[in-house]
Amino acid sequence: MDIPYTVHARPDTGLYNAKIGIWLFLASEVMLFGGLFSAYIFLRVGADYPWPVHDLDVTLGFVNTVVLIASSVTVVMAWAMLKLRKFGLYRLNMAITVICAGVFMFNKSLEYKAKFAHYAVKLTDGTLLTGHLPHGYQVKFEGITELNLTVPLKKSAVFADPVGYVLPFVEGGAAKFKTEDGKEITLDESTFTALSAEAVKKATEAKKSQATIKLVATSPLKVAAKPSEIFGYTDSTLTFRDGTVATGKLADDKMTLEVDGVDARGVAQSEKSLAFDHRYLGDAWQKAFVENRDHHFEEFAKNYPTRDKNRSATLQKEALFFKLHSATPPAAGEGHGDKHGAEAHAPAEGHGDAHAHHPTVVLEKKDITFFSNFTPKLNTYYAIYFTLTGLHGLHVVAGALVLAYFLLFDGKRLRQDPEHLANRVEVGGLFWHFVDLVWIFLFPLLYLL
Amino acid sequence: MSAAATTHDHAHDHSHDDHGHHEQSFIWKYIFSSDHKTIGLQYGLTGLLFLLFGFFLMLLMRWSIAYPGIPVPGVDFIRSLPVASGIFEGMFGRWLNTDGSLNGELYNMLGAMHGTIMVFFGIVPLGFAAFGNFVMPLQIGTIDMAFPRLNMASYWLFFISGVLMMCSFFVGTGPVQTGWTMYSPLASTANIGVTSIWSHGHTWWLSAMVFNISASLLGSVNFIATIINLRTKGLGWMKMPFFCWAMFVTAFLLLLAFPPLEVAAILQLSDRVFGSSFYLPTGLMEGGKHLDISGGGSPLLYQHLFWFLAHPEVYVLILPAFAILTDVIPCNARRPLWGYKSMVYSVLTLGFLSFLVWAHHMYLTGMGTMMSTYFQITTVMISVPSVILLTCLMISLWGGSIRFNTQMLFASAFLPMFGIGGLTGLPLAFSFIDLAMHDTYYVIGHFHYVVAPGTIFALFAGVYHWFPKFTGRFMNDTLGKLHFWPSLLGMNLVFAPMFIQGMAGFHRRWYDGGKYFENTSGFSNWSTKLTHEIGAFFGLNIPDNMLSLNIVMSVGAFILALGQIPFIINFWFSLKGGKKSNSDNPWNATTMEWATPTPPPHGNFLFDPVAHRGPYEYSVPGHPTDFYPQWESEPGKPEIKPAADKVLAHH
Amino acid sequence: MSDNVEEIQKSIKKYLFIGGLLILFSAITVWLSYVELPTHGQNILLGMIVATFKAALVALIFMHLNHERSVIYKILAFTVVLAIVLFALFIFSHEDPLVFSGFYTPSDQL
Repeated sequence: MDIPYTVHARPDTGLYNAKIGIWLFLASEVMLFGGLFSAYIFLRVGADYPWPVHDLDVTLGFVNTVVLIASSVTVVMAWAMLKLRKFGLYRLNMAITVICAGVFMFNKSLEYKAKFAHYAVKLTDGTLLTGHLPHGYQVKFEGITELNLTVPLKKSAVFADPVGYVLPFVEGGAAKFKTEDGKEITLDESTFTALSAEAVKKATEAKKSQATIKLVATSPLKVAAKPSEIFGYTDSTLTFRDGTVATGKLADDKMTLEVDGVDARGVAQSEKSLAFDHRYLGDAWQKAFVENRDHHFEEFAKNYPTRDKNRSATLQKEALFFKLHSATPPAAGEGHGDKHGAEAHAPAEGHGDAHAHHPTVVLEKKDITFFSNFTPKLNTYYAIYFTLTGLHGLHVVAGALVLAYFLLFDGKRLRQDPEHLANRVEVGGLFWHFVDLVWIFLFPLLYLL
Repeated sequence: MSAAATTHDHAHDHSHDDHGHHEQSFIWKYIFSSDHKTIGLQYGLTGLLFLLFGFFLMLLMRWSIAYPGIPVPGVDFIRSLPVASGIFEGMFGRWLNTDGSLNGELYNMLGAMHGTIMVFFGIVPLGFAAFGNFVMPLQIGTIDMAFPRLNMASYWLFFISGVLMMCSFFVGTGPVQTGWTMYSPLASTANIGVTSIWSHGHTWWLSAMVFNISASLLGSVNFIATIINLRTKGLGWMKMPFFCWAMFVTAFLLLLAFPPLEVAAILQLSDRVFGSSFYLPTGLMEGGKHLDISGGGSPLLYQHLFWFLAHPEVYVLILPAFAILTDVIPCNARRPLWGYKSMVYSVLTLGFLSFLVWAHHMYLTGMGTMMSTYFQITTVMISVPSVILLTCLMISLWGGSIRFNTQMLFASAFLPMFGIGGLTGLPLAFSFIDLAMHDTYYVIGHFHYVVAPGTIFALFAGVYHWFPKFTGRFMNDTLGKLHFWPSLLGMNLVFAPMFIQGMAGFHRRWYDGGKYFENTSGFSNWSTKLTHEIGAFFGLNIPDNMLSLNIVMSVGAFILALGQIPFIINFWFSLKGGKKSNSDNPWNATTMEWATPTPPPHGNFLFDPVAHRGPYEYSVPGHPTDFYPQWESEPGKPEIKPAADKVLAHH
Repeated sequence: MSDNVEEIQKSIKKYLFIGGLLILFSAITVWLSYVELPTHGQNILLGMIVATFKAALVALIFMHLNHERSVIYKILAFTVVLAIVLFALFIFSHEDPLVFSGFYTPSDQL
């Protein structure tokens, strides 16, 4: 049984089935990206912070644009060669297309990786510091003597699992505890299973809804964990993600940041930003900042005498988003007018000698309202950036897989029914062009404007 | 048909009158089948099971509303069963109060899952995917869908999505509790502190929806491509049965409305998993604490993306119902469909307008006067094509010699029921009324009248109508009537009091049915007095206040539940023991699905069907019989012999 | 679709030319984005005009929309209209919020 019009077009519509299919699919893709782009507009017009412009690596973005355009040319060439029955050239063009997809994704991964290693810290007065965390950031507790574990009797989302959620953050060797009835145990999978079974039994008899286990450490413990690895803490208690509460003393929650940028756009009097507090960057950097800012304002007033300096997003960024390129403040008169984004100078490796070029500050927790690396969490711009480019990247991968399949595994059809393969390549190519078309809008919207 | 016959498997050769199609092993014939009819049946059975399950959730909710704080009957019994107790405990039992009564938390879960399952897993698969898949290719005279393997992928993606959705009952925090609409920021932040994202039902819900949406997209691409490219010879667009037109429009709605929902789901998933702030405004606090988020997003974004899908979705629910009725009503009234062309243009207009009205679900979000005026106008406009569709169906009955078999009973009950649902929706189109009615039982009553006694009645009509084509056997008519009358009574008892309660201000999310809202529930009117009197007649002490209507609705739900038992018995019994149909066209219908052998073999037709005329040529003057099928080239020379009279004798 | 061998032969040159044009316009977009126009909105508008032009080239030449069948045009026209609706109504409803004019107090009646 053969479905009609798989290879040749139906006379009255002039189309074969797959072509209608792919156009319908592309129509739904238009709505998918339409939804995402309208989300972009919605977020951008509603943003309550300066929307980042030229913050991404424009060079890398441009290279990717060229790569994608080239692959678009080669895929349509592959189809034309197949129509002309030039099989060698078809294979060549198809191979270039797939390789281009690989290059595109490789560049994308470089871009993502640099973002993940780069951090932004928001201070209480609205200043945003960007930079790297040379030692990561951990909350440290010491003198922990007591663990309180809660085991709900009914299946629940949060139940004590000290082996998975507590022990990985305890410094030193195997932790020894005393149970409530005075037994001394080394906490591990098997001892905890036995303990919780006993506690559950007791709680069931007492008709409680949850069992609690109290463990006393034989010697005080030290704990160090990233904020994302724990649920929360106060000066004396630390709650783990499994609901276990440890009692001890907060030792350190200061953040050591190698600052490569001070964004004072959110501060009313930018020179009085908390970043220039004597504990942090200090007066010398403040002077450099003010000098740079005023220099940009003057230049702008000279070049565009009729324009309002508060309404130029570019000027605001150049003047108030101050980039630090050396470990100590530059002498007066240096370091003006650089137009590069922070990313251009951020080394892709994340760590290395390059960090000697930035001053290091130790931020106190009470001054920090929010911090994140350059991931969707940072702000809505990076959220939509990762969503759009991530989904676009998925489309690139999917398209490349389909085209690679035609190239590598459809040889039989190539010999026996090249017309059918040409249809398949045309349909795959249409999808590929659509991916290119989306990028044509993504590139200016995310990288340039 | 393919000559590549595989091994003949007698064990699963159910139909001996199959017309020589090649046999496949059970797995390939019934499980991983790419045949549109098998896929249609798979969708149908899965959809019916989900409908039943969603209905069961509703029964639990109704119990809680009518009898808050009173243990659910039968819980102890289920808990004493060996295997069922484990499943029950994992799904519902662990959330019940210790005495076995419902609480708000479980009520919210049931509400959210009832909506989700009914809409995305019950009615759309049943109405669009099942009937569309089975009937549409037959009606346009083709051998299969344009992309059979895509069709199979569509069903299995849907199946995976159903499994994921059911899994969400068993995970740590249970299924979602934030309503089927999943409004952010609540849905983005609820239970955000769980140990693993997979222990929260929301992640499962979103994942299931991604699969469900993909399945719908594949299905709709397939439907449209099939209708455009595989219509048989002579079947011009205006000779196509309205059924196919409605499916065509529905497929477009699914194709273009679902992607924004996919976007909404992806962004919400990102909010939950990556901590982004798409839907979270700056300074959002929960439990007196600022959340660890950047803010800067907007909850309105979610509502826009969601309702951009969800309003066309309403028409995805109702158009298959109209599709089915345009076959059932002309066939049983023995009259042509009145106003075929105006119906086609109406359905096209309806499809287009349905994309322009979504924000009438959002009047309460603080929309300015300009936008709300725009959406009020389009909303009122869209009622015009809906009314045309309903009116054409009603006029089609005029002067007909109506056969009141079961499917016709359901079909004729649909008309007033949908009418009530539609007319009660009109006031809601106006923002000043909607502001007061928003989220009350009035709204619940309105859309349930459209979907429950509306769409579901049409779906039942379709099951009774095409059952002889699926199986070669009739469903029992007596059991069918036993199914119909309690269903009609039950539906109205459940949904009509909702209008009264809604006007009184009853809110849809009260798990106690308003017991603790004395100012709202404490007064009486004619309906409560009537309930009180009827209760007194039976020796029951039903209070004379608005709460009594809760009891009426719960009794209605119970009657409705009982009413489905004859259907279930009828369905399974008739598969093997129903009266045999000795014709391929037992209802003497005119559309082309009745030209196929019964049940239709792989490849469908034994001859190349050609459409010679329009699809509704009933009672044509001068024609020897009262129907003139599309595929007959001239009178008296039918390719398929007409039904024997005795088949229809009992009408 | 041009199944004609000669036509395809001819169009190969066209494809290469369009590819070059696209890269050129990408470079122009980058350059334009650094030009300081009176408002940033004008930069965005200009960038989008260039991008739309590029997208049109891809759609018309590479995707052969310059000579496609009417069915495809109908589908796409419908989709484009809906996509515009999606954009336009989102923006309009954002631009038209309900203005809060303070709580109503009985003294307002006076």
